[in-house]
Amino acid sequence: MINVCCRAIAQLRACRPIPEPQVRELCYKAREILIEEGNVVSVHAPVTICGDIHGQFHDLMELFRVGGDVPDTNYLFMGDFVDRGFYSLESFLLLLCLKVRYPDRITLIRGNHESRQITTVYGFYDECIRKYGSANVWRYCCEVFDYLALGALVLGATTDVPPAASDNENTQSTLPPEDEEVESEVLNANGDILSKTLRRRFAGLSMMSHHTNSSRISPAPDVDVPSPPDHPASSLPLQSSPSSQSLFTPPTSTTGAVLCVHGGLSPLIETVDKIRLIDRKQEVPHEGAMCDLLWSDPDEIEGWGLSPRGAGFLFGADIVRHFNHNNDLSLVARAHQLVMEGYKEMFDKTIVTVWSAPNYCYRCGNVAAILELGEDGSNGGCIARANGDQGRREPVGTDGSEGGSGVLWNLASPGRRYRVFEAAPQGTRGMPAKKPVGEYFL
Amino acid sequence: MLQVLQIVRDNPTGSQFLMSSSTIPNLNAFRRGQRGRGRGSGRGVGSSHSGAAGLGHGRHRPHDEIIQNTDNDAATSRLSAVEAGYLEDPFARLLSADEDGPVARRLPLMNRGTYLRTASIDRIVDTFLSSTGHGCRQIISLGAGSDTRYFRLKHKRQNLAIVYHEVDFEANTRRKIGRLRSPPFADKAKTLAGVDMHASDVRLSEDGSTLRSSEYNIHPQDLRRLPRDNADLTGVDKDLPTLIISECCLVYLPPEDADAVLRYFSQLFPSTTPLAIVVYEPIRPHDSFGRTMVRNLMSRGIQLQTLEKYAGLAEQQERLKTYGFRGDDGTGSGAEAVDINFIWQRWTPPEEKERVDGLEWMDELEEFVLLAKHYCICWGWRGYGEGSGWKELPSSSPN
Ligand SMILES: [Mn+2]
Repeated sequence: MINVCCRAIAQLRACRPIPEPQVRELCYKAREILIEEGNVVSVHAPVTICGDIHGQFHDLMELFRVGGDVPDTNYLFMGDFVDRGFYSLESFLLLLCLKVRYPDRITLIRGNHESRQITTVYGFYDECIRKYGSANVWRYCCEVFDYLALGALVLGATTDVPPAASDNENTQSTLPPEDEEVESEVLNANGDILSKTLRRRFAGLSMMSHHTNSSRISPAPDVDVPSPPDHPASSLPLQSSPSSQSLFTPPTSTTGAVLCVHGGLSPLIETVDKIRLIDRKQEVPHEGAMCDLLWSDPDEIEGWGLSPRGAGFLFGADIVRHFNHNNDLSLVARAHQLVMEGYKEMFDKTIVTVWSAPNYCYRCGNVAAILELGEDGSNGGCIARANGDQGRREPVGTDGSEGGSGVLWNLASPGRRYRVFEAAPQGTRGMPAKKPVGEYFL
Repeated sequence: MLQVLQIVRDNPTGSQFLMSSSTIPNLNAFRRGQRGRGRGSGRGVGSSHSGAAGLGHGRHRPHDEIIQNTDNDAATSRLSAVEAGYLEDPFARLLSADEDGPVARRLPLMNRGTYLRTASIDRIVDTFLSSTGHGCRQIISLGAGSDTRYFRLKHKRQNLAIVYHEVDFEANTRRKIGRLRSPPFADKAKTLAGVDMHASDVRLSEDGSTLRSSEYNIHPQDLRRLPRDNADLTGVDKDLPTLIISECCLVYLPPEDADAVLRYFSQLFPSTTPLAIVVYEPIRPHDSFGRTMVRNLMSRGIQLQTLEKYAGLAEQQERLKTYGFRGDDGTGSGAEAVDINFIWQRWTPPEEKERVDGLEWMDELEEFVLLAKHYCICWGWRGYGEGSGWKELPSSSPN
C-alpha cells in the first residue's frame, strides 16, 4: 500500500487524477484509518492549521511551499477541500493519500462541503463525472466524507510564537527586548514579518503593540491596535485583587487547548465531550449539533442568532467566552468564511477564522493564510491536561462594553504565527482552456 | 486580440485609420464566428450590409462581437434564476440561446444577483409608471439584447398604455426579432401578454433587424453613433413621460461615447417632459475584488470602459446630475445610486427575503456581499411634480 500510495502521491502532485480502481482502494484504506479517529481528534502542537481549500490545487501546492511539506510539517485541515475550484478531485485525493501515508502528520476534519447534497450543487459531483465518466469516484469520496472527524483539539501549544524556520535568521534581529513578549506575528510567503502583536501585561502597566508593515499584503484590520492605557485596565480587578496578580508571576507558558472545527459552535453543545457523543458516520444533517459545527459563524451579536446561510447559527462573543472558559480552551480556530486578509481574529482573540484559498474562485482577490502553533517545551514535553488549572490566565471581555461585568479569566491564548500567501503564479496555475462562464453579471 | 483592443482604446474618436494589416485576420475570424452563431432569416443580406457600413468603424468589431455575446451570458443567467424560482418570466426560455437544451445552472449567489438586478429595475419601472399619471408612457431600453421586460409588463397589465423601444447592435436585434416571430414565442406573447407579433401594424425591415409597431419597436443602432449621426430613433415621442434603461450597456462604451449618449437623451426631451433613467453596471474597480474583476473580464476580451471614470456611487450619482437629473428643484428632479448589497438589505421586503433565502442553500454569503458591492443601481428623474414616488425609493443619501 505504501508503494501504491507513494506513486499516487507523485501523480496527484502533478495534478493528474489517479485511475478509478486506485481511488477505490485509497478511499477504502482511508476509511479504515478515519474510523479509528474520534469525533474530536487530539493533535499535539506544533501544528499548522489550514482553512478552506475548495479545489484550488495549485494554491494548495503553494500552501505546502509556504508552510512546509508533509510529513515535515504537522498539518490540520479544517474541511471544505472540494467544490468551487477546478481541481477538487486532485486536491482531496492528494490530502487523502497523505493521510493514508502519514496518518499522524496530517489531520483532516469535515467541512460543510464534504456532503453529498452540497457537492452536487457546487461542482465536485460534476467534476467527477467530467473526469471519470461516472459517479463512482464521487460516491467513494462521499463515503470517506462520512468518516471524517468533526473537530480537533490542539494540546500543548505554547504562549510563545513558535520558532521561525531556520532560513529566516534575519527575523532574529527584529525580536523585541526580553521583557516584551510577542503574542502573534504575521509573515508573508517569503517569511518576512509584516506585523506583530505584543502580549498585554495585566500585572504591570505596559501595554504595547508594535506594527511593522512593509508589504502589499496588509495586516488584518483587527490585529491589536494599542488601547488607550487607562481604558481596559480600569475594568480589571488588578489593584483590588492581589491573588489575580499571582496568576502572572512567574508566567508559565501553558495555554489552554485549541478547538478546531469547520464552522463554529452549536447551542446544543456546551462541552467538547458532547461532540464526542455524536454519531457522525452519516451525511451532514440539515439541523442539529453536527450540522451546526460545520455551518455556524461568529457574529457581532449577543447570544445566538439565525444564520442567513439557512443552516447552523450565528453566535456572539459571550458564547465563545463562556464556551472557552467552561472547556479550558484558549482559542477556537475555524474556517468557513472568506476573509480578505486570510485570517481574522475576533472577540478579544477568543476565536479565529483561517481561510486558505487565495483569490477564492479565481475572482475574490483575497489572500490566504495558515496558522502555526508552537510546542510548549516548558513541561519537558508533557502535555498539559486540558482541564488543568495551573495554566496562565488572561481576562477576556475587556473591551469595556459591558463595564467589566463580563470579564472571564480564561487560559492565555497560544502564540500565533500567521503565514499569508497569494494565489500561485499564473504560469503554474494551469487554468483549463475553457473557463466557466457566469462569474460576473454582464 | 489585446492589441486590437488597445487600438480601440487609444483611438476612441474613430477619426483615423490606425488598423494595421496584421490585425485584419483577427477580424475575419470573428466575423466567421458570428455567422456560425447567428439565427433568423435574412442573415446573408445583413452581413453584407454590415460589412459595407462597417468599414468606417471596423476596428470596433472584435470588442463589439464580444460585447454582443455578453447578452447570451445574461440570458442564460436570467433563465437559471427563473428555473430556480427567483424570477417569474414565462418568456425567458424562448428568448435565450439555449431554448431547447438543459438550462446551464448558475450558482445560488449568481441567481440571487440576477434576481436583485431584475427586481430592482422592475421596481424603478413600477415607480416610473406610478409616478406619471394614467396617460401613455414610453420606455427606451439601451442594449436591450434578449431582455423580456416589455412582455413581462404586458403580461402583468395588458391595458398598460406604453411605447417601448429597444436599442441594440444589429446582430442582436436581428437574432431577437427572429425569435420573437417564431411560432412558439409568438403564441406565448399572444396568449400571455396579448401581444400579436404578426399583427398588421408590425413591420420588419428587409434584413430583419428592425421592428416597428404602434407600441413595440426594436432599433438596430450602434449607440456610439447615435449622438454623432444625430439620427432620431424613429417613433420616439419627445412629449411622453419616458424612462431610459441602461442594464450593463453604457459601461462597455468609451467614456466620451457613454457621456454623449446621456447628453443626447437629456437634450432630446424638453425639460417639461417627465424623464427618468436607471443604470445598472459594475463599480469599484480599485479594491482587490475590483482589480481581479477587471483583469478577469479583460482576459475574456471584455472592457468595462467607463468603470475608471464612474468608479463609485458618488461618481455615478454625479454623472446623472451632470446630464440633466440635477436635483436642485426640490422633489422635481434628483439622482441616487446604491449598490446591489444595499438593494438586498434595504429594498427587499422581509417576506420576499425569506422566500428568496429559502430557494437554495446559500453557502457563499461573504462572496455574495463582495460581488453585490461591485454592482450598482443608479437612477435619476426630472420634470416631476410634488408627490412622485421617486423620493420613496430607499437610498443612502440623506433626505
Ligand atoms: Mn464552509
